Amino acid sequence: MSLVITPAMLGQVIVSGLLAGSLYAMVALGLGLIFGVMRVLNVAHGPLLMLGAYVTFWLFSTVGLNPYLSLLVSMPLLYLLGVLLQRFLVYRVVDAPELSSLLVTFGVSIAIVNLAQLAFTSDLRAVEYLTGAFVLGPIAFSKSRVIACAIAVAITAAAFLFLQKTRLGKAIRAVSQSREVAQVCGINVGRVHAIAFGLASALAAAGGSLVAVMVAIQPEMGQVYTFKSFLVIVLGGAGNYPGALLGGLLLGLIEQLSSLFLTTQVNEAVAYVLLVVVLLVRPTGLLGGRAS
Amino acid sequence: MRRAGLTGLAAALLLGLLLYPLEGSGYGVRLMLQLFMWIALAQSWNLISGLTGYVSFGHVAFYGTGAYATGIVITKLHWPWLAAALMGGLVAAVLALVIGWPCLRLKGPYFAIAMLGLNEVLRVAASYFEGLTGGGLGLSLPTLHASVPIYYAMGLTAAGVTLLAYVILTSRFGLRLMTIREDEVAAEAMGIDTFRYKLYAFLLSAVGPGVVGGLSARDQGYIEPISVFPLLMTITMIVMALFGGKGTIWGPVLGAVLLFAFQEVVWARFIYLHQLLFGAIIVAVVLVMPRGILGVLQQKYNLPRTI
Repeated sequence: MSLVITPAMLGQVIVSGLLAGSLYAMVALGLGLIFGVMRVLNVAHGPLLMLGAYVTFWLFSTVGLNPYLSLLVSMPLLYLLGVLLQRFLVYRVVDAPELSSLLVTFGVSIAIVNLAQLAFTSDLRAVEYLTGAFVLGPIAFSKSRVIACAIAVAITAAAFLFLQKTRLGKAIRAVSQSREVAQVCGINVGRVHAIAFGLASALAAAGGSLVAVMVAIQPEMGQVYTFKSFLVIVLGGAGNYPGALLGGLLLGLIEQLSSLFLTTQVNEAVAYVLLVVVLLVRPTGLLGGRAS
Repeated sequence: MRRAGLTGLAAALLLGLLLYPLEGSGYGVRLMLQLFMWIALAQSWNLISGLTGYVSFGHVAFYGTGAYATGIVITKLHWPWLAAALMGGLVAAVLALVIGWPCLRLKGPYFAIAMLGLNEVLRVAASYFEGLTGGGLGLSLPTLHASVPIYYAMGLTAAGVTLLAYVILTSRFGLRLMTIREDEVAAEAMGIDTFRYKLYAFLLSAVGPGVVGGLSARDQGYIEPISVFPLLMTITMIVMALFGGKGTIWGPVLGAVLLFAFQEVVWARFIYLHQLLFGAIIVAVVLVMPRGILGVLQQKYNLPRTI
């Protein structure tokens, strides 16, 4: 909370912002995928991330598995859970008014958080694996954040390649552009919905596993990510997948920048105020061209 | 004949509720007071979201605002509690006007999320402006030794909001709101100034929670940011309104009575499963009975809108 900002401080803010932002981008891509494909706002996205974090914690504390390798377990597990959620619950409200899908995913989110409380208690858990920082001149990079950023960038890139190049990825994009036309072209929309929900959950799980090494784990840790992800896709333009990437980096930078001037508590409110302001100025998102 | 019987029943019920605090135990009075609170909250949410389809996902923001406005005028200006609670309703209505002006232009989930954000911002603001609100330490109000006056005030608020729902639902204003819910573009094309009517409904829906927040603050004697801006309270009012039937007059009342009773009888015994069950009920109500109990009856027996 100083008034003088040195270039080193600014450099630190930019680096920290980009490191955090890349993670936001990956997690938000999942939320954006569900919203783009089904027009469902998945309030349970953050709680799914929390489950990913617990998978990593659990594997680390019981069998000592490297937390980064645990991504190979958390992502498929959550993919499966996402497909099941879609197949058994969410598919019923895809065409219903927004309130229905919002409430169903909210109900799911309460249930997940409370199951986690029953299973793991509300105690704070930590994966003590990687501490310390790389120091480069006046700027310090936390090691766990650098690795998380690298993995997040790789996973995000893979997701983009999948969406751009594969038949399935093209089918997903086709459904998010027009479900009717996609259906006429012979795409199994129900299957695409389930796969999109699974992929989104796997992306959330990856976020959780990476975050597990950086922050304390507890059942209610996820909610804030739901909101941040929503903010990211609003910044980037709902239904605009590259926009999510830019939105994520932007959110990371804004958060770090505002932390120079404000206390952490107020800093949280900045994201909310920002969200409302962006919605008011550009209801389709900063990069969003077409109205939804 | 049937109508006369119903009127008699209603009169007896009303008389019972009026006389109850004279005989009832302190615990019973407090329980009824809370039930009145939930009726007023669920009904208020119904006024904006049930009638226009604009889902307010942060309606507890008005409750918290009312609580703080009341707490501040009581502690700083030494207002009498009833005037202070009415002040809470007024401040909440002004907030609704200020917030509704920009936010009611947002569509679908965007409005829901903006309201959620509003609640979070207010919670942070309540702990930030320490001079006024006492910050994270909260605000202590002078103790009140009897719940009975609050019982009557809360009962009157619940009745007032329900009467308001009746007046709106039987008026042209209500019809316009429901037209917006069914098809906003068509409503616009018919010459309805949709924005103005949404704003009126939003404003009216904020008064009840504002007064209720003020009365609860007075009753509990202590407020802090996390206790007056809980997301779960918004969700509870939504579920009560949905359960009974949103967009009807008696649906939110019925939903509040049933879920409140259920909560007291069943959930209290399963403290840990309480919220889990709550999540399951939300999902079940939305999937199985999206129109609520009265909504289903209305459709099945072709009942009038004024139910």
